[in-house]
Amino acid sequence: MIEYPEIDRYAALDSLLHRFDPRAKIIAFLFLIFSVVLIPDLKIAFIGFFFAIFLLILSGIPLAFVLGYLKWVAMFVLSFFVILAFTFPGEELFNFYFLSITAEGLYTGSLITLRAFSAVILIFPMIGTMRFDTTIKALDRLKVPNSLVQMLMFTYRYIFVFVDEFQRIWTAMESKGFKLRTTLYALRTIGKALGMLFVRSYERAERVYQAMRSRGYTGNPKTMVEFEIHVKDYILAVFIVGFAISLHVISFLGVV
Amino acid sequence: MREAITIKNLSYTYSEDTRALESVNMTVHEGERIAIVGPNGAGKTTLLLHLNGILHGTDGQVEVFGKSVDKVKREEIIKDIGLVFQDPDDQLFMPTIFDDLAFGPINLGLKEDEVRERVEKALLTLGLSGYENRCPHHLSYGEKKKASLAAVMSMEPRILVLDEPTANLDPRSRAELIEIIKGLNEREGITIVTATHDVNAVPTLADRVYVLNKRIIAEGTSQKIFSDVELLKENNLEVPEVFKLFEVLQCFGYNCEELPLSVDDAIEHLTRTVETEGGHIHLHIHKHTHDQVRKLKDKYEHH
Repeated sequence: MIEYPEIDRYAALDSLLHRFDPRAKIIAFLFLIFSVVLIPDLKIAFIGFFFAIFLLILSGIPLAFVLGYLKWVAMFVLSFFVILAFTFPGEELFNFYFLSITAEGLYTGSLITLRAFSAVILIFPMIGTMRFDTTIKALDRLKVPNSLVQMLMFTYRYIFVFVDEFQRIWTAMESKGFKLRTTLYALRTIGKALGMLFVRSYERAERVYQAMRSRGYTGNPKTMVEFEIHVKDYILAVFIVGFAISLHVISFLGVV
Repeated sequence: MREAITIKNLSYTYSEDTRALESVNMTVHEGERIAIVGPNGAGKTTLLLHLNGILHGTDGQVEVFGKSVDKVKREEIIKDIGLVFQDPDDQLFMPTIFDDLAFGPINLGLKEDEVRERVEKALLTLGLSGYENRCPHHLSYGEKKKASLAAVMSMEPRILVLDEPTANLDPRSRAELIEIIKGLNEREGITIVTATHDVNAVPTLADRVYVLNKRIIAEGTSQKIFSDVELLKENNLEVPEVFKLFEVLQCFGYNCEELPLSVDDAIEHLTRTVETEGGHIHLHIHKHTHDQVRKLKDKYEHH
């Protein structure tokens, strides 16, 4: 079975971050993520990384769940690490025939890897601690362009429908003897199945649009939601943003 | 009685060579219950999409409560006429059930507390209270189907148009949905237009039936339409099972002129017969019974 991409599976837990006002949470975390990916120093990147893990633990989201997603990120990021280690010009540490690892390469590679992991880990305490529809509504209240909000909203709603649809196509293929192999035939067949999914999605989009117009859609759907921001939300936001800024201050002052 | 929907000479062509509708004429009165039956590809859904101006006929016109659908703004039309699509995944497009039910009322420009009131009322009508924060992909098909109806009911339309409301439902959900739709007509006087092939549901959901196959083939009471076996055969339709059963009973000497079409009709009919025939019903096998039964079975064979 294909799994649903449910990033908000643990939204029903209760933690300090779950109770954090969605709008303040998004702003504070985005600030922190940008701060972390711009860190120029490896030691400070480590501090950022541990802070990300601290926030993740604070959110109560099971680590196994996060690791499941991180493995895909790791595949991508670690390839960068390897390429950088071998190609970055600088002082040679090891030598294999024509390949050499440089100290600068290792340093830059580690820095980029660490920043990437920190940023991805921070996504979980940010949007994994509220239902995804809350995230969308919070973005809307934060004056994110409405067309972007709508794209997110409909993507979120229909990704499950398309997963089911593809599952049905897949089951039909398997029950007619199709086996997943790395042959040209199998790839062609998968291509056709995906094509079929696109056609069906297109047709569905048309019907959905008709349903929307039947209920008065004119291009700007509005939602109703009550967000309340309290003093504790301000404190938490200031704490996170403050931490994000201090990462750069200590880097600038060269304290560490 | 006021005319709720008036369709005059409506034609619709998809491309140059595919005609979907050919001069359709139809009148639905306020409070009436209408069924549109017809084979696959007869243009039922296409016709329904004309009722609130989603599609515009290449010819002819559609009026809802006297207002021409093509001429007035869509908001004017959709507050009177609610369209429930067949596939609930098309109908429920918002992230949560609450958002979906609130979508229509918000677009009608209602105030926030009024929207909340409407949502609550619609949920209550459909027996979905407590579902506000559920996501459509966590609901069963039957629940989604009810939620689709609720999403239209929250707009409080005077006319409810349903595309295959009973399709793909399990018997219990089907029965529930039929009861709800019936109730909306009886309690609130909502005009109901149902497009369906579920002939067994037609007698319960409609007083009058239109047979559509690109054009209107026939129109009349359920009784009249279902008595015309040739007409039904030509349009890939059937008579309700209850009707067939009573035809069989006739072969066994049961005496009735107007055959019941639904279980409710049947109960009434049997009661009346028992009362007039002195406390019991007399059935027997006479010399023509077997012949008659054979003929009857031949009549309903589809080939």
